[in-house]
Amino acid sequence: MKEVLRVVDLRKRFGGKEVVRGVTLTVREGETKVVIGPSGAGKSTLLRCINLLLRPDSGKVFLDGEEITAPGVDPVKVRQRVGFVFQSFNLFLHMTALENVLIVLTKVKKLPIHEALRVAKEALQSVGIGEEHWGKYPAQLSGGQQQRVAIARALAMEPRIILLDEPTSALDPELIVEVMQVLENLSKRGVTMLVVTHELGFAAKVADSVAFMDNGQVIEEGPPEEILLNPRNPRVASFITRLWELYDIKDALASRER
Amino acid sequence: MLEVLQGVVEVLVKYAPLLTEGLKNTLLVTATSFAIGFALGLPLSIARMYGSPPLKLLVAVYVELIRGTPLMLQLFLAYYALPALGIALSPLQAAILALGLNSAAYQAEYFRTAMGSIPRGQWEAALGIGLSVSAAVRHVVVPQALRVAVPVLTNEAIYLLKYSSIASLITVPELLYVSRIITSRTFMYVQVYAFLGLTYVVLGSAIAKLMRRVEAAVAVPGLTVSHARSLTWA
Repeated sequence: MKEVLRVVDLRKRFGGKEVVRGVTLTVREGETKVVIGPSGAGKSTLLRCINLLLRPDSGKVFLDGEEITAPGVDPVKVRQRVGFVFQSFNLFLHMTALENVLIVLTKVKKLPIHEALRVAKEALQSVGIGEEHWGKYPAQLSGGQQQRVAIARALAMEPRIILLDEPTSALDPELIVEVMQVLENLSKRGVTMLVVTHELGFAAKVADSVAFMDNGQVIEEGPPEEILLNPRNPRVASFITRLWELYDIKDALASRER
Repeated sequence: MLEVLQGVVEVLVKYAPLLTEGLKNTLLVTATSFAIGFALGLPLSIARMYGSPPLKLLVAVYVELIRGTPLMLQLFLAYYALPALGIALSPLQAAILALGLNSAAYQAEYFRTAMGSIPRGQWEAALGIGLSVSAAVRHVVVPQALRVAVPVLTNEAIYLLKYSSIASLITVPELLYVSRIITSRTFMYVQVYAFLGLTYVVLGSAIAKLMRRVEAAVAVPGLTVSHARSLTWA
């Protein structure tokens, strides 16, 4: 299938430390690619370099075959084609749920208001935010609701790809499920996504491919069954094993001494 | 005691037209200089936060010059020095100009602080959805910063109310100036100046009350000064 995103040998340094050290990866149309790996591996920095919230030091990023890291490319125009969902939601605090989605349609896509309203309401419905919540401010919504509004905001732009930076890390466990469900639906609808997450269950269930990142580099990449069950790299294997242990409730119960 | 009060009332009645004139000018100077300060202070703060380096420096120099010199000197410059440059202003115009330009520097600093208190994620999200820098400032940063700034703007308005009294030094017939005329005729210094002080307190409370209404009208859940403060503590 067609390539939507291609990242080639991307590098980013903060002060003396190189945080992203030559990452190459591609995401195809309709694909859900999940990036896993320990904290501090450079995953969030990688995502921010892709939508040019950060300028990469070297390397190239291609969107639909066009090099967006080339000089002269307007980052504002690029970001209109790349959705971004943040770990801490970052809904605009002075706007209601509906207004948070509307601003994209009226100020970025420049739709007439009646059409913008229709699209915004549809986008909110599609992530399970009903009419009773449209007039609420972010502070009046649960974390799961805020993140779903943020996903609707990213969707409303009809981006070529959505980048999600640990979309559930700031949520209580029961709220993680509702957000993950929304992402699973998007994946089924064929929305192209690059998701950084610690939720191996999501990777197992939804990902078309999984990349493992450590110390600024992708050290193994492949289909979920391969990376999550039989990783070749010992570093990946030990990380995955420890996470599976954490989630394997039955095994943990069985191993208790009675 | 009763006699003293009776005397005060008589003076107040007698000089009511003069006092009304003074009140009118005090309110005019306060309101206009506040409006000028707001209209200039907001763009100045935006220039200081998001402008090019030379623009930032220019605003910083302006703010330091205004903050570093006495307001009274600024008033005298506007009234006595500007005519030498071919700009002759009436006392009232000079007072409004001096206080307005002074307030602009302070309001620019208040807005700058308020903008700085907006969480970084708001800025990232604004750029992330494809807004340009200027659209992000207009639609996301400024509306939040203005709400955060309302309480300090209340202080600024009350300061201006009180500082408008120095306009009496260049013969603007505001409250202090007319009070001095009245005391020079009646010699009732204690009574007239006590009444004047009370008047300023009442006017200041009215301003505070008005600003609380403004604050309530634009309030948004989760976006208050206490919110901004909790962010600086975090």
